[in-house]
Amino acid sequence: MREPRTTLPPPVAIAGCGATTAVGRGVDALRSALRANATGLRPNPRFDSPRFQTSIVGAVLQNGTDSDDPAFQLADEALGEARAQACEVLSEIPAARIGLVLSTTKANIEALERLADARPCSKTARRHLQGNLFAADLASAHGAHGPVQCVSVACVSGLVAIQQGTKLIQRGVADAVLVVGVDCLSSFVVAGFTALKALDPIGCRPFDRDRCGLSPGEAGAAIVLVRGDRVPGSSIQIRGWGGSNDANHLTGPSRDGSGLTQAIRRALDAAGLQPDDIEYVNAHGTGTPYNDAMESQAMRTVFGKQCPPVSGVKGMLGHTLGAAGVVETVLCVVAMQERLLPGTPRLNIAAESAPASLVRESRSVAQLNHVLKLNTGFGGVNGALILSHG
Amino acid sequence: MDKIFISAASHVTEADVRAARLGTRFGRLDLACQLALLAVESLGINFDAQPRDRIGICLAARAGSLATDLEYWRDRDAVGGPSPTLFAYTLPSAAIGEIAIRHRLTGPNLCLVGEDVVVSEARDLLQRGEAESCLCISCNVVTPALAEMIQSPVAAGASALFLQRCGGGLRELLENDRDIESLCALVCARNSTN
Repeated sequence: MREPRTTLPPPVAIAGCGATTAVGRGVDALRSALRANATGLRPNPRFDSPRFQTSIVGAVLQNGTDSDDPAFQLADEALGEARAQACEVLSEIPAARIGLVLSTTKANIEALERLADARPCSKTARRHLQGNLFAADLASAHGAHGPVQCVSVACVSGLVAIQQGTKLIQRGVADAVLVVGVDCLSSFVVAGFTALKALDPIGCRPFDRDRCGLSPGEAGAAIVLVRGDRVPGSSIQIRGWGGSNDANHLTGPSRDGSGLTQAIRRALDAAGLQPDDIEYVNAHGTGTPYNDAMESQAMRTVFGKQCPPVSGVKGMLGHTLGAAGVVETVLCVVAMQERLLPGTPRLNIAAESAPASLVRESRSVAQLNHVLKLNTGFGGVNGALILSHG
Repeated sequence: MDKIFISAASHVTEADVRAARLGTRFGRLDLACQLALLAVESLGINFDAQPRDRIGICLAARAGSLATDLEYWRDRDAVGGPSPTLFAYTLPSAAIGEIAIRHRLTGPNLCLVGEDVVVSEARDLLQRGEAESCLCISCNVVTPALAEMIQSPVAAGASALFLQRCGGGLRELLENDRDIESLCALVCARNSTN
């Protein structure tokens, strides 16, 4: 347990969101997909090869792109949308007080593939192989002259980036932080998951009885964080977070869910909330047998028989790695705004181990004030983030 | 604000890795993980003396995992495809997992790519009470092949600090202490003359 604070840190609010995903360009496309419980997973000709376990992925562009810097383009597009949404607040903040935190696992890995194959690759694309330089260029392109960080904590990166952005504001180092998550589909990553035999040949089915792996996806997503007092009226705020490590296995989750349990309890503690305050859990839900079972176990431990509604959206977007925490948080924000419980796309028969409160189809609810977002990743890392209406 | 203390510091190079005897698993790790793990080992911390769920790990992976990325992708056309083992090390944060497993540390984690703000972030983690102590590590691996690709000097080294929220230690962490490498050099030099 964390020690009690003598003074509470200032609240941090979400002033704008952006998302470019397999279900379309823009948050509105995400909103439509959420309402329809739609899937963006499809066979993709880029991965139609015996080198890959499956060609079913969550691609933004079905035929890929000729760009040698696709990750930067995705990040740039999502950030542009988020900034436009938050333009009124951002216009009152000096550029030197606007920071940027990038969340990515592979940055512009396209450049490495091109260089290895002796294909053309611009200097800029090569520079964006390095996450920190990618982040610096993104910040510069979007008028953020404050602190810049590149977070890379496997598939928990997005949640950690949001917490880093929140901390920069609470420490008084910045008044606004642009949090951007991005990862692109690449042969590099799909071949890696193929080598691990971690892909579901027919597309991922989180929490399904017959689930057998994940589906890679790509996304750019962005969230504009600002000091709470800069947003007039009601807003969605970052209420608390918790992190932990399983200390168990590099590529597999702990079987008992104790690490994730610890992260959830830390987040509840930081937020000053009880388990029964949580009205919805957006799970990591990769669709791998062990991850989903572990998450279900952790939720049973924390919530007992009173588990709030739970769903996983990787059947909609695929597993977008470093972007996952940000894009799934954007989806939670939309759900809170719309008072809509997201469903679990591609779920057929729920696994026995899955929470009884698993949401199959999206549905309206009277209120959605406190939402818990979970992610876990290679290296045993676990993250939990709580969003609340402020 | 609580005072933060440095209770141990270390710096290791590739030569130290070659001389290290840390078991068979150590030999299977990529160089970045070996350096980070050895830097932590060299701190000589007795992890039994504190609750392991209250120890955080903050890592700066200066060149990300690009050296291992290159090695992994070199084998893309091999029969059976690239190595699944090496794929797990194509994450800049892989060393955190290895350190956590070896020492059974279940506290919160952070991995930043690039220049060091890792000391400031480790300090913040402790001052917020998210952890009682924190391993703060900077690792830099730039192989000759990578050096050519990203136009950066060849490097292979890791520095580590053990920071604690209470107790004495070797030195207090000051507000303007930011660069982990110079901090490690300073503390190690002072320690060896005492």
